[in-house]
Amino acid sequence: MSATYTLPVGPLHVALEEPMYFDIRVDGETVRSVELSAGHVHRGIEALAMRRNYFQNVTLTERVCSLCSNSHPATYCMAVENLSGIPVPERAKYLRVIADEVKRIASHLFNVGIMAHLTGFDSLFMHAMEVREIMQDAKEGVYGNRMNLGQCIIGGCRRDIDDATAEFLRGQLEQLKPQLAELYGVFERDPLIRTRTRGIGLLPREEAVSRAVVGPVARASGVAYDVRRKAPYAAYADLDFEVQTDTRGDVHSRALLRLREAVESVKIIEQCLRQLPGGPICTKEIPVIPAGESVARSEAPRGEVFYYLRADGTDIPQRLKWRVPTYMNWEALQVMMRDCQVADIALIVNSIDPCVSCTER
Amino acid sequence: MNDIMKQSAEKAVAQVLGKGALAWTADVNGNAFGWVRLCDPRSLLDLAPLLAEIGARLMTVTAYRNDKYGREEGHEIAYHFDLDGVVLTVEVCLPDEPPKVPSITPWFRNADWNEREFVELYGIVLEDHPNPRRLFLAADLDEAVLDRLVPLSTMMNGASTSTLWEKVFAGKQLPDWAKGGNN
Repeated sequence: MSATYTLPVGPLHVALEEPMYFDIRVDGETVRSVELSAGHVHRGIEALAMRRNYFQNVTLTERVCSLCSNSHPATYCMAVENLSGIPVPERAKYLRVIADEVKRIASHLFNVGIMAHLTGFDSLFMHAMEVREIMQDAKEGVYGNRMNLGQCIIGGCRRDIDDATAEFLRGQLEQLKPQLAELYGVFERDPLIRTRTRGIGLLPREEAVSRAVVGPVARASGVAYDVRRKAPYAAYADLDFEVQTDTRGDVHSRALLRLREAVESVKIIEQCLRQLPGGPICTKEIPVIPAGESVARSEAPRGEVFYYLRADGTDIPQRLKWRVPTYMNWEALQVMMRDCQVADIALIVNSIDPCVSCTER
Repeated sequence: MNDIMKQSAEKAVAQVLGKGALAWTADVNGNAFGWVRLCDPRSLLDLAPLLAEIGARLMTVTAYRNDKYGREEGHEIAYHFDLDGVVLTVEVCLPDEPPKVPSITPWFRNADWNEREFVELYGIVLEDHPNPRRLFLAADLDEAVLDRLVPLSTMMNGASTSTLWEKVFAGKQLPDWAKGGNN
């Protein structure tokens, strides 16, 4: 019996409740090849962006992705600012970093939580989600929203963080720190987690480079690329943090790397709150957006987000294009799933921290 | 590091287009952005291997109409590369009939999805792609959906039934045009 069978996986309920269809050839319990079929939630947002003016697009881009929802308007605003030369006040740069890092912690905790769920360790899943709740409360307290913060606007930020709010945010971080340390220990040492996640979903460094993957997926395979360090934006050039890397390139190392990044994010927010300069949080004048083109990048929780803006001198973009980090990471699944067991498919898919609706836009 | 990569990019571009073809801009943080225009799509086949050699990573590809509303013909494609922190954008002008471009997948494997996406959105003809299937759009949808201007009023008319107009004109004489037929 050496015949291979085709196993349809998806489009619904592979790790996350987002649709992606995997056409998988299996030989017994072993995966031999993977074909992806996308397009189940194509929303045509790029077409919408070419119908809305520059200010409306801030709101639109925030709705591209729920877990990276601050990175999109922030990077879009940077592209507009790069083109029009609007100077962003120093204080706003720090406020943008704080919003980005708060979102990163919540996003990473969500992903490792789902991983625990997929290994069958549901009490750890609930614990991770409970720890994440500290950051959700922080978002609600500081920004008034638990997912879309609505913090970025062209030329700065919408909401200031005053002394009382800063104190509240510091308090949330103090609560979070011991919990993160404990969680890291469990994910690192728990025998169930280790058995299910170590050595599976391997992505060797050379494959990571040739497939151009980004974010924690690349960094866990030894590609030390972090936009915050390689092409600093906002206030990152003035902040002290370590780019997390690993060389094992498996499901376990990606999860641990995300948890370490969350710890770094806490440090970054604390530095921002300490160094927060005074002054305005946004420019007063309404900017003129000239004809021309610009690009901007940032490091979202899942990796590099890229925006390209082309303007024709009207108040509506001629073309606005963005690429989310998951876009390339999908195809790397073909490497990660090679010769894996059918039971590990969901764990491997989850390890790229997939985001379907933002890939398809 | 930035300067080394900028020099490598200058050298690669100069081999294909000669000196001075690469323009630089920078943002307030000093991050460098390079801009190149290729007026012959075939020269992409000369430039792509040189960029791959100096370790460029393809970030994404943007296709666009020269005029958003199609008042004049013409498409361009912008290829965005990362050179260890430096962004290089190579813009390629396409011929009108048909807009045709060679695939760069032999040097940049992840061009696969990007190229399939601009084919289905703009109806651009792609040469020598290893897997030229639809990416996101279903096979029964027309090609080049982003190439057409569909006014919102046209779209809304299509979505309105005579029931809607009966409500709008409730208690009044329903105009002939609202009685349906085309809907």
